[in-house]
Amino acid sequence: MNCKTVNDKLDDYIDGALSTADTSTVSEHITHCGDCRSIVNAARKLQDLLKAYGDTDVPTATAAFYDSALLNASRNGTRAQHRNLWLKGFGSAVAAGMALWIVSGLFFKTPEVPAAAIPVVTIALEEPHTINLVFSSAIDLLDATLTVILPTGIEIAGFEGQRKISWETSLTAGRNVLRLRLIATSPQGGEILATLRHGDDDRSFRWQVNVI
Amino acid sequence: MRGSGINQSEVFERVLRPHMERLYRLAFRLTRNKSEAEDLFQDVLTKTFGQLDDLLTVRDAGSWLNRVLYNRFIDNKRRYARQRLVTVAEANLPQQSIEALAGNSDPVRDIERLDNIMRLKSALDLLSDEHRTVILLHDIEGYKLSEIQKLTGDPIGTIKSRLHRARARLRELLQESGTFSGS
Repeated sequence: MNCKTVNDKLDDYIDGALSTADTSTVSEHITHCGDCRSIVNAARKLQDLLKAYGDTDVPTATAAFYDSALLNASRNGTRAQHRNLWLKGFGSAVAAGMALWIVSGLFFKTPEVPAAAIPVVTIALEEPHTINLVFSSAIDLLDATLTVILPTGIEIAGFEGQRKISWETSLTAGRNVLRLRLIATSPQGGEILATLRHGDDDRSFRWQVNVI
Repeated sequence: MRGSGINQSEVFERVLRPHMERLYRLAFRLTRNKSEAEDLFQDVLTKTFGQLDDLLTVRDAGSWLNRVLYNRFIDNKRRYARQRLVTVAEANLPQQSIEALAGNSDPVRDIERLDNIMRLKSALDLLSDEHRTVILLHDIEGYKLSEIQKLTGDPIGTIKSRLHRARARLRELLQESGTFSGS
């Protein structure tokens, strides 16, 4: 290995990104070549100096600053969508993706589309897919709890790594649409269970997610 | 979220929190000024809040946020095309930095180290914006080449070449200033 080659490989050598064989060859070269050894030493010193500089240079932002920034963002941010993840207006929800239904019972209206069989949704691996859950309620419902249980390998965007997600929420009379963005992280698919509970009453809905 | 449905602000915070410190560091590295970094950081969060749907669909929210911030920084820079990157004045360095550098174990060595840091800062100021940015991101913040590629959109080969030249130029400047004498 000549000096030019060593210079070409200098960064990878310093960064530890060379193969074992190349590392040995460069090391061998610099034991015999004073010029290259000097360059390598200077490169190492530079890395040490940059690290020392980096360790001490950035001012620490306070927790109060982060809290304030989040608050300002949510107050002043341009809302491209609804403030509440419940959508009102069924038409736009259908346009956004597939609609599923949870329905009937003491406080829920009769389903407009009977779900005789478990519906199947097919989504592509690693590609977000929007599902709209439509809850039809006869009356306003305060303090309901929605729980979604996911199979391994299916996630909801924004809640990565969580298999069971619960929200305390409220529904208004009529249709309430919850938009969920599903992401398949493995090809196995599985069944998703969504349960809406209000007081002692609850309704559950299952659907199968297949991944292609 | 009792009584208010699934709150968008909470989702936003849940997604943002794990990335905020790194995002702020990037803002500071790019602007090199605390108040400008805070402005840029706030600007990006405000902009991002309106794009929550997009943020929720990306697999790597950290990279996505960094790219938004980087693009915002570049846009701002273009808007003020004649305004060179602000150099951090000595007086603006956080006090704890100087103390941390100085230490008390070996005063002579610490003073020498502090002097070298100051020379490095001066040398960094002499680099082009592109060279300085790649050094700050790769060698100081520990970004991988692939992460810088995602951030800047430049090919890996270009970034590697830029890093090589930036390091060589820094070594040259530090040797000229006597920092690396005797190497």
